[in-house]
Amino acid sequence: MSLAPRKLHIAVEHTTLANGLRLVASPDRSAPFVTVGVYYQIGFRLEPLGRSGFAHLFEHMMFQGSENAAKMEHIRLVNSSGGLLNGTTNYDITNYFESVPSNALERVLWLEADRMRALKVDEENLRNQRDVVKEEVRVNVLNQPYGGFPWLDLPPIAFRNWPNAHNFYGDFADLDAATLADVQQFFRTYYAPNNAVLLMLGDLEPAEAFGFARRYFEDIPAQPLPPRADVTEPPQTEERHGEVTEKLGPLPAIAIGYTMPERETADWYAAAIVDRVLHGGRAGRVYRKLVLEEQIAVDVDGNADLLDTNGPTQMVTRIFHKPEFTSEGTVAVFDEVIEELQHRGIAQDELEDVKVKFRSDYYSMLEGGMGSYMPRFGLMHYLACFTLFDGDPNRINTILDHFLSVTPERIQSVAKTYLVRDNRAVLKRRPLGLGGVQ
Amino acid sequence: MTSLGAPATSFSRRTTPPALAPERPLTWPKRTAVTLENGLEVVLAESRAFPKISAQLYFRSGNAIVAHSAPGLAEMTATVVRTGTTSRPSRQIEEDLRRMGAGLGSSSGADSSVISVSGLAEFSSPILELIADLARNASFPEGEFERERRQRFEEVKIERTTPAFLANERLRQVLFGEHPYAVIAPSEEQVAAFRREQLVEFYRKHYVPAGSLLLVVGDFSIEAMLEQIKRVFGGWAAPHSRPPASPAPPRPSGRHVHLVHLPGTVQTQVLVGNLAITRRDHDWYRLTLANAIYGGAFHSRLVLNIREQKGYTYSPGSSVNALRQHGYFTVRAAVRNDVVAATLTEIFYEMDRMRALRVAPDELDSARQYLAGVFSLGVATQNGLLGQLSTVYLDELPGDYLETYRERIRALTADDLIAAARRHFDSANAQIIVVGDRAQIRDQAALFGPVSEYDSRGNVIA
Repeated sequence: MSLAPRKLHIAVEHTTLANGLRLVASPDRSAPFVTVGVYYQIGFRLEPLGRSGFAHLFEHMMFQGSENAAKMEHIRLVNSSGGLLNGTTNYDITNYFESVPSNALERVLWLEADRMRALKVDEENLRNQRDVVKEEVRVNVLNQPYGGFPWLDLPPIAFRNWPNAHNFYGDFADLDAATLADVQQFFRTYYAPNNAVLLMLGDLEPAEAFGFARRYFEDIPAQPLPPRADVTEPPQTEERHGEVTEKLGPLPAIAIGYTMPERETADWYAAAIVDRVLHGGRAGRVYRKLVLEEQIAVDVDGNADLLDTNGPTQMVTRIFHKPEFTSEGTVAVFDEVIEELQHRGIAQDELEDVKVKFRSDYYSMLEGGMGSYMPRFGLMHYLACFTLFDGDPNRINTILDHFLSVTPERIQSVAKTYLVRDNRAVLKRRPLGLGGVQ
Repeated sequence: MTSLGAPATSFSRRTTPPALAPERPLTWPKRTAVTLENGLEVVLAESRAFPKISAQLYFRSGNAIVAHSAPGLAEMTATVVRTGTTSRPSRQIEEDLRRMGAGLGSSSGADSSVISVSGLAEFSSPILELIADLARNASFPEGEFERERRQRFEEVKIERTTPAFLANERLRQVLFGEHPYAVIAPSEEQVAAFRREQLVEFYRKHYVPAGSLLLVVGDFSIEAMLEQIKRVFGGWAAPHSRPPASPAPPRPSGRHVHLVHLPGTVQTQVLVGNLAITRRDHDWYRLTLANAIYGGAFHSRLVLNIREQKGYTYSPGSSVNALRQHGYFTVRAAVRNDVVAATLTEIFYEMDRMRALRVAPDELDSARQYLAGVFSLGVATQNGLLGQLSTVYLDELPGDYLETYRERIRALTADDLIAAARRHFDSANAQIIVVGDRAQIRDQAALFGPVSEYDSRGNVIA
């Protein structure tokens, strides 16, 4: 027994300032909070050649002081307004965001405008944040079982073009080589209003929010933008392999990545559904086969970051398998799952169930996302990506229909075309005690 | 004619932050709390922005109650509960969930066990039926039990290589001693010794309606939801006895260092802690605010000091941890190996500063506003709301806890903070855990107290 589904409609208004800054507002007055985000179209994929980790180091510098808000002042003003803030560096975007009681909307916009206009940092700030970032790498990667698996391990094996294939967190030597001049140059090049979108969500009137945005952002000068880095990959003609030693954890792990179709193509929509057929929790085919039925693996998951990437990206399966099984045998059983989808396709009822879950997960992402600690984080994130990558924030209301109309035939053809050995990379993370190399 | 409005071109760039606008009213959704005839407490709240529902069924028994007989048995039971009922095999449960757009979790903490489901509101009725089926008719299939036990066995091995886990495990041992809260996870041997019959017994005894709590929030009307719940859960009856409290642990006297040796590590996990209070203590609000100023926010003294000024660490912080019977205060930082002594110096300096000196009015006001705002963010999502409701109802806090929290925080003074810090930031008797390479950190840590050393399995080493 079930009720009729309620169709969700997200209110979206958008405009562009004279300096090229795009504005998106999404009013929702159900709770007295606003979430504000500024997304710049620069990520670790696009950082300067040979400067691994710079985009992320730079993200830290954006919290170190701007023209009228000295170091810690930005953070103090957001916290003392009753709000949270953070920033993250991604493949193709870097974002800065706050969730605050709605009476702090104007204040937050002033703060974001101040640091878009003029970063004010010194050598001491750079030294300090370089140290902080090194500890971040140690705590998340070097001193953590399976740290960086596979988001740092797999790209260098899967890809050939440096933007896609380098160490995104940064080699320590590259971090040490970063200068204050590099920081200011990076800021001038990429942190321009015409390379960004400002999102304002929640308890607000769009007209008033746009007015605040105009007041604080519109006189920030536009900059000539550099040509976008060439992130295309040369055609792949062979299966790629790599091995990394796991220094702490006891279990062998494998990551298998298939390069995905181009954004906004029919195959791309279908690939997102294929990902959920394979990886949708315990009902997903890979978990069912490797963990529940064959009991080769202790844990399996996987995903394809399709909505928030704008360049070569992979669907990645992560397998932690029991040491008494070989990696080769484990991959062979995984391959059986892929081959079954290629040869026998998918039944209509299984596909319908996957779509129901897809719709539910999409709503959850819009409502919270990122562990729900900031309301509407996912709504902000997707609105930003649809604006920057596709030029249309209203896709937030239409994109779901594309995913939900994927056919069984398209699923099978995507499996046959993309889930092939010549389009994949296989990474093994081998524990020291099991033959890994010190 | 004169114009009252200044033209836009006369605007000059402002160099100081705009003042806050008047605060908009915050309304927590109305809760409907009903106890069914079988003793199940039901709490409902509407949250209708997205067409979903989220439900949690809590049983008030967790790992603490079995800590002395079979550590981790509650967690193992919760894990296997989802793998079969008398009418649904494992695969059907997972497929049913997917068909309802639902995700399911089942787990146990120290004080409770929970089954939680979030799914599409259009399937609210079958979602509730599935929760009831798991709560009443779990069948603990032998094969599923063996599979899950092996998985847990491998997880336990991974835990022993995770610095933050090892630090927490050691601190709980040190603070709680003979109290059941001392044990946070089973050993490999204890996992290997679990038997299916133990899980079945735990389930029979503790997965019962009386004294348990069903929280449901989402896109529904209260009346209709209550009717559904009565229909699905009304016929469930089972005997129940409330778990007893254990004697309070003695407070450790004097600082002591506990070093967990992980050879070759490139960073040291530092964790400092002392016993504190539960949410039911009248000092709770004062301690929470003191914690926000000390290390509980990005803009806190500890973060400013050891991250933003000194660059020792990426994510330092402090927490007040409230379990049902007792609470404790912790300070944590993962730091590079050569600044362990320097980090501990600053941790204690900032604790003593909170104990000795009054907080300035600006800093006090900032922290009050921070806590009042962030606490209330929970109103905006179903998960946030569930989190707040579970705190109120599991800890049996006053019914107006959510509504009065902001006012209570805003009424606190600098004197309240000094009192809270003197009572609960027990720097003289705090226990110090360091997880790292002995050769690199022992001498630094020994400056702060006598040192005991352990390996990653918890054995004392010379």
